[in-house]
Amino acid sequence: MKKILTLFLVSILLLTACSSKTKNGGAADSTKSTNEITVWTWDPNFNVKAMKIAEEFYKKENPNFKLKIIENAQKDVVQKLNTSLSSGTTKGLPNIVLIEDYSAQSFLKAYPDAFYDLSKYFKAEDFAEYKLASTSLNGKHYGLPFDTGVAGLYVRTDYLQKAGYTVDDLQGLDWNKYIEIGKKVKQATGKYMLALDPKDLGIIREMIQSSGSWYVKEDGVTLNLADNEPLKEAFKTYKEIVEAGIAKPVSDWGQFISSFNSGAVASIPTGNWITASVKAEASQAGKWAVVPFPKQSGIPNSVNATNLGGSSWYVLNIPGKEKAAEFLAKTFGSNVEFYEALNKEIGAIGTYKPAANSEAYKAADEFFGGQKVTADFSKWMTEIPQVNYGAHTYVIEDILAVALQDYLKGKDLDKVLEDAQKQAEQQVK
Amino acid sequence: MNIDLTIKTGRNINRKHRIKSTIVGWSFVILATIMICVFYFYPMVQALILSLQSGSGANLTFVGLKNYARLFNDPTFLTTVKNTVIYLIIQVPIMIIVALFLAVLLNNPKLKLRGLFRTAIFLPCVTSLVAYSVIFKYLFSEDGLINVMLTKFSLISEPINWLGDPFWAKVTIIIALTWRWAGYNMIFYLSALQNIDQSIYEAAKIDGASPVQQFFKITIPLLKPVILFTSITSTIGTLQLFDEVVNITQGGPGNATMTISQYIYNLSFKYTPDFGYAATVSYAIVIMIVFFSIIQFKVAGDKNE
Repeated sequence: MKKILTLFLVSILLLTACSSKTKNGGAADSTKSTNEITVWTWDPNFNVKAMKIAEEFYKKENPNFKLKIIENAQKDVVQKLNTSLSSGTTKGLPNIVLIEDYSAQSFLKAYPDAFYDLSKYFKAEDFAEYKLASTSLNGKHYGLPFDTGVAGLYVRTDYLQKAGYTVDDLQGLDWNKYIEIGKKVKQATGKYMLALDPKDLGIIREMIQSSGSWYVKEDGVTLNLADNEPLKEAFKTYKEIVEAGIAKPVSDWGQFISSFNSGAVASIPTGNWITASVKAEASQAGKWAVVPFPKQSGIPNSVNATNLGGSSWYVLNIPGKEKAAEFLAKTFGSNVEFYEALNKEIGAIGTYKPAANSEAYKAADEFFGGQKVTADFSKWMTEIPQVNYGAHTYVIEDILAVALQDYLKGKDLDKVLEDAQKQAEQQVK
Repeated sequence: MNIDLTIKTGRNINRKHRIKSTIVGWSFVILATIMICVFYFYPMVQALILSLQSGSGANLTFVGLKNYARLFNDPTFLTTVKNTVIYLIIQVPIMIIVALFLAVLLNNPKLKLRGLFRTAIFLPCVTSLVAYSVIFKYLFSEDGLINVMLTKFSLISEPINWLGDPFWAKVTIIIALTWRWAGYNMIFYLSALQNIDQSIYEAAKIDGASPVQQFFKITIPLLKPVILFTSITSTIGTLQLFDEVVNITQGGPGNATMTISQYIYNLSFKYTPDFGYAATVSYAIVIMIVFFSIIQFKVAGDKNE
């Protein structure tokens, strides 16, 4: 009886041990032998489609190529990447991943050697300068710059007309004028001027980048909150917008999208990647136009161009990296035709400079009343002031979100930003 | 001589039997024990070690108790603790009173359609956390159903900014939590109520006790262990609160509704990852759960136990 029991126990132990081993071995083999390249990305209408178009282009010359696109929300991509990389195992990681420019430095610094150096696969000077600060570390280019995030002010021309404005009145706008127009629009049409999510400081980011300023100084490390004039001005503008009652409060992305698809707001100050979502409401064709982003009032070097978001492709340093890098180089890294197709099919504007001269970029867009939207965005893209995002954008932003609430409630602005700076210094040391 | 031998063999048999039963016993639990060690205790110890380290992502260095000292100087952490405690001291009592009230109502044998009501009130806690959070977000949005109804019945003149105002955002979370969990706790009370012998109430009635007296003098004392159980599980649940807040307000506006769990998530995944400090904050929750549970045992628990 004893013997049988011992035998039974030992065999169970052995079985569990063996089975886990064979499982590991099996998985590792399967990733090695396959020709498949895996991609993690978000946004089915934009990034996923872009990858699919890239696959089509690459397949013309490499018919055996296989691309597996795994779509997740951006949050989940970040979370999965963090868990996998910090656990030290490369199993289950994709070959290519899309990372937002704001978070790129944090990944590159937190996981040295996790990403593959792409420097020799593409010419960095072919891409917009402001992208490269976030995609490279110590002179090596780890990310292949993708969409620009160049921002514009999307406006409903019909609402503006009712308030007595034309698109020409909106060229070279600053935020004071914007608020003034907003009030008139509200009076004339009862519609809000824009939608604001209190948890999303994107609009603050856009404002300060238009003045060449950021939460950190050029070194990407020194915090720049307390005596940051553009940031102060941005806070003031935000408060004025809220107090003027021209902002529709929304609390998430879906509500944000529906704020303009339902016709509840007259303008969207945001990145060009929103084009696809604006166009999704076909009944509003011809009613929209895009004008340059408002500059900051009272800040002399502020320009009518800025950036919001934008992301780039990174290759993980795991088996299959050469193949993945090769695929990216032949499509996103050098192919003007590909960028033309991208622009035609999903309205995406890359940051690949040679593509800007192509005919497709100069086409008129009927949805925007015949405006040459892509050409306009490409022009503004070259005017975006370059800033170093550093590695801590979202930590600082959560602190600033509290600061903004305090300021809205009436706390002194200088004090609010000083406190935020102190808190941020503790957090990111 | 003969007797001695018998005793000896008897002992032998006894010992053999004991060893045998020990082995059989262990063989039943050994697998579970190994599993528990691997999947419970190992991660707990690992997390404790991790909480003594700091650094971004994979570059961790040992910092001793520095992370624990950092907790007390971290305004975000203190805000999240404050928020969580507010949920705790407001939401848990409200929910328990509501659940108790509903349970007593639905325990009334004269009530028709009892089963239907019970199911209806229990249903919320079967729904998916995320699904109900999303629906609540839309109900309480600026032009959502709640605002529309309140304006229609002229209870408010202007729509309340439920999710954008620090105070109302907290109220929204509390309403959502109560909606979902009151029915769940009600089930415990219902089953406990049905175990109370009806003759006690009959005796009380004969002695002239009013229904209110019966409730406070009989029902509540007899339900005490169940109330203790539900308040401890609700406390633990509230201290680990994550889904509702993340899905309804994302912790905003500012950090007005952020919970400790969401802060742990942010430290690990939203910010430049600092897994060491995130583990420290997790241990802070553990300590708080132990603390609150002890208090509740002291206040409500039976002294004999």
